[in-house]
Amino acid sequence: MSPEADFLRISESVGPWVSGSRTAGHRLDMDTSAERLVPAVTAFKNLSWGYLSAITGLDSGTVEPSDGHIEVLYHFCRGPAVVTFRVKVPRGDPSVPSIGAPVPPAVLFERELAETMGVRVTGLPDGKRQFLSDDWPENVYPLRKDFTLESAAATGEPAPAVGSGEEPGTFIIPIGPQHPALKEPGHFELTVDGEIVTHASIRLGYVHRGIEKGAEDRSWVHNIYLMERICGICSHIHATAYVLGVESLAGVAAPPRAQAVRTVFCEMERIHSHLLWLGVAAHEAGFDTLFMYSWRDRETIMDLLEELSGNRVNYSVNLLGGVKYDVDTKAADSVRRGLDFLERRTKHYMKIVTSDESFLRRTRGVGAITYDQANLLGTVGPTARASGVSRDLRHEAPYLAYRDFPIRPVLDSRCDLAARFVVRINELFESYRMVREILDRMPAGELAVPAPRKVQEGEVISRVEAPRGELFYYLRSTGGVKPDRVKVRTPSLCNWAAVLSVAVGHKLADIPMILVGIDPCFSCNDRSITLRRRGSRSLENWSWEDLRAYGISYYAGGAT
Amino acid sequence: MSVVLALVALVIFPGGLFVIFGSLAYEYVDRKLVARFQNRVGPRWFQPLADLVKLLVKEEIVPAGVNRGLFNGLPLVALAASLTAALYVPMAGLAPAWGFRGDLVVTVYLMMMMTLCLGLAGANTQDRFSLIGSTRALTQLFSYEAPFLLALLGPSIAAGTWRISEVNGYAREHLWMIVTQPLGFLVALIGLMGKLELPPFDAPEAETEIVSGALTEYSGRGLAFFRLGRDVELLVGLTLISAFYLGGLANPVHFILKTLGLLFVTAGLQSLFARLRIDQTVGLWWRAGAVLALVQLLVLIVLKILGVRL
Amino acid sequence: MALRGALDKAALWSRINSPWLVHFNSGSCNGCDIEILATLAPRYDLERFGVKLQGSPRHADVLICTGPVTRLARERLLRTYEQMPAPKFVIAVGSCSITGGAFHGCYNIVGDIGDVIPVDVYVPGCPPRPEAIIDGVVQLLTKLRASIARPGGAS
Repeated sequence: MSPEADFLRISESVGPWVSGSRTAGHRLDMDTSAERLVPAVTAFKNLSWGYLSAITGLDSGTVEPSDGHIEVLYHFCRGPAVVTFRVKVPRGDPSVPSIGAPVPPAVLFERELAETMGVRVTGLPDGKRQFLSDDWPENVYPLRKDFTLESAAATGEPAPAVGSGEEPGTFIIPIGPQHPALKEPGHFELTVDGEIVTHASIRLGYVHRGIEKGAEDRSWVHNIYLMERICGICSHIHATAYVLGVESLAGVAAPPRAQAVRTVFCEMERIHSHLLWLGVAAHEAGFDTLFMYSWRDRETIMDLLEELSGNRVNYSVNLLGGVKYDVDTKAADSVRRGLDFLERRTKHYMKIVTSDESFLRRTRGVGAITYDQANLLGTVGPTARASGVSRDLRHEAPYLAYRDFPIRPVLDSRCDLAARFVVRINELFESYRMVREILDRMPAGELAVPAPRKVQEGEVISRVEAPRGELFYYLRSTGGVKPDRVKVRTPSLCNWAAVLSVAVGHKLADIPMILVGIDPCFSCNDRSITLRRRGSRSLENWSWEDLRAYGISYYAGGAT
Repeated sequence: MSVVLALVALVIFPGGLFVIFGSLAYEYVDRKLVARFQNRVGPRWFQPLADLVKLLVKEEIVPAGVNRGLFNGLPLVALAASLTAALYVPMAGLAPAWGFRGDLVVTVYLMMMMTLCLGLAGANTQDRFSLIGSTRALTQLFSYEAPFLLALLGPSIAAGTWRISEVNGYAREHLWMIVTQPLGFLVALIGLMGKLELPPFDAPEAETEIVSGALTEYSGRGLAFFRLGRDVELLVGLTLISAFYLGGLANPVHFILKTLGLLFVTAGLQSLFARLRIDQTVGLWWRAGAVLALVQLLVLIVLKILGVRL
Repeated sequence: MALRGALDKAALWSRINSPWLVHFNSGSCNGCDIEILATLAPRYDLERFGVKLQGSPRHADVLICTGPVTRLARERLLRTYEQMPAPKFVIAVGSCSITGGAFHGCYNIVGDIGDVIPVDVYVPGCPPRPEAIIDGVVQLLTKLRASIARPGGAS
């Protein structure tokens, strides 16, 4: 169905609760109020259209004579189309109801909104902070326009729980600690009954640096270098999403050759990311030989990236308006040779993950996320595709050179951890094919066109397919040299809800593999776990290494 | 005079220092082989010695709430047990320093002390794995130690004696028992690797690191002694298995060749996964391993009764 | 006294040749951490120098840390450092760990790891190559050999 037909249907269904709506290309924006938000979203949800992709908060700043307003945007996506509900609330007393009842995964996004923008979300269950540190002072909201660094000085005391204090609804919230009395902030909190996990939750915020705010202080160009460093593994895709958004706002179109070069880098980044994940996942299962070999092979793609751009990580290919580097014939030949080697090795890895008994024992049937769960809980990327949910922006909403060089999404219907391995390895083959094709038919032309220093007023949503799934950028300009708002929603944020709810009912020994199965984008070795045992009043603190070793010894020597 | 000789045997050769430096050398060979299998350069020859000395001079942090006597004593007991076991086996291909009827059983028991100490160390800690950790160590005891003992009984029955030096002598005279008792050999080798937790479920360098929760609490001397005790046990185990199954150890040349050959095989098994790796669950190995060993024993006993020369 | 000197030399020799690392990410983008892991992989193979990556700070001599120290990570960084038995040393990897790097001025970071724990060696780069990280480790060992570094970290 075309977006227009869909939008008509949607407008009709939610009509009674919406005061105004606008369409522009693939976007439908509807204004509603805090009181009518929940019925509007519920009616929308009944159409079973799309999934919640992000929630953006916008602070207008103080606007004379009133105090100004805060606008909250709820973005729902399906393929290229984006439906946004917009609610304006007064800055003096900003309050919206939680949409967690019709849309369970909203809870994590709403917490972020509450902590960073200071919007009171009624109906959110109590819990400690998710994104800001416990000693962050109360009533100081970093994303507000009047925020100053001095006001954020640590108070030295842990803050009281965030939340309105009302009883939660009947939906299950896998995110956020349920026990405000916790003293130790662990990355994960697991409650176990014997060997079985009965509750799992996550504490984010360890890598929260304040980038969205920092972006408002840096020029449009300077921000490319900031966005690149959101994640060292998928740095190029972040910069690409940002740059595509800015180019769209500025009305600049990068030339075809530039788009093709960007695509080559995107796919090569996907290759290095998946190989990295393969090694890390193998290490979690105790197969260190596979870890060593896959990382040795990964050096090939690192060398190629360095040959093309001069750096192994943070290649910095993007400019506003194009790319800095070209792929000449000599480089293209190196790339082809490297890919041939990698393809041979990848076939070997495929054989291992599909036929090695000891490996399968840890992955087959483990951590199964059904199609419906994946759909309802808003999962994205290979995690969703391994459950048969066909979400791949390169295919549904082609950007860069994907229109001319179409991708075949890799799907699997088995839904378990083994399927996630197979999907990522098959995606490697697909990426090899893509890079070769683009190199063979690289469009001629210039590498960049000029882009303005000041970007005209407007807002844009830029969505791309990172190695881990859909990456969502919202950009807003008020006509200056610096952005007014940059909102980034990384793919892993979408996948936590699914994986943590699925963790319940599994053995403790399976948890490391389940968590690593979504390819989480945070640091590798310092995640800590707080363990609560049924019948025990004290909490145990495990390091990630403890949990990993536990899983390995469970399967290799201790299990009966 | 004999007291002096006894002391020398105990402390320097073939016990004590010789065994300690020998096991460090074997740890080096093991790590180097595994590294090469993983396509890496691997450690330098003096690495295990440097690791040992460094741990000995490092600050020891005793966690709150543990029984200090047990905490400090268990590593010593584990090391002492392994070193004592070394006195009864044909170390360096020479006759064992001591021996008596039934010393095979005592030796295997001494080798079991290591796992027992680990289990107790795990139970001693206040958090972490605690009960589950030590339970796991004790189940390990049953799953690998028992088949290991049974596997060593096979050659013992064939030789008609419980004395290690005599079994060694018998093995030298006859066809290698790896040929006549292949099941026993397999069970013994896997049993040894299981006892030492060698099959790969380890830290990134594939260096052997005991996974039972006990060692996370130890930092300096205690860790050094446990690690050394494990290395010694590796050496003693390899010596026993080569003596029994690989045609006995008559002289140092035999010793070097046969034990290093076995080490090569274990390093290979540590590094390969896929079809060659045999990491079974406790239940499976306890059943399969013990059954195999028992079957082997039965065959032997029957043949012995029938008077067939082995 | 000669014995004392010999023992000290032996202790120093062992520390230089058996530096066990524990790794901590205080909020970095992972770029540096991936390159640190790459130094363990076959191409760079840190085990040649006696370096082993440990899971627990109690087994480590050197803390290798990355990141601009987010507010939430700060306390955990301190605790990781405190759990290490003496003598202990710190290598800070990446531009973020020196000044906050690309995130300088952002609201949730401390910036300089040296403001939280004493650092012996800084390895700049965004991220530094594995060769540079190995150079950082070697520089630390050289410092040890010259006995400039005092156990406990500060130089």
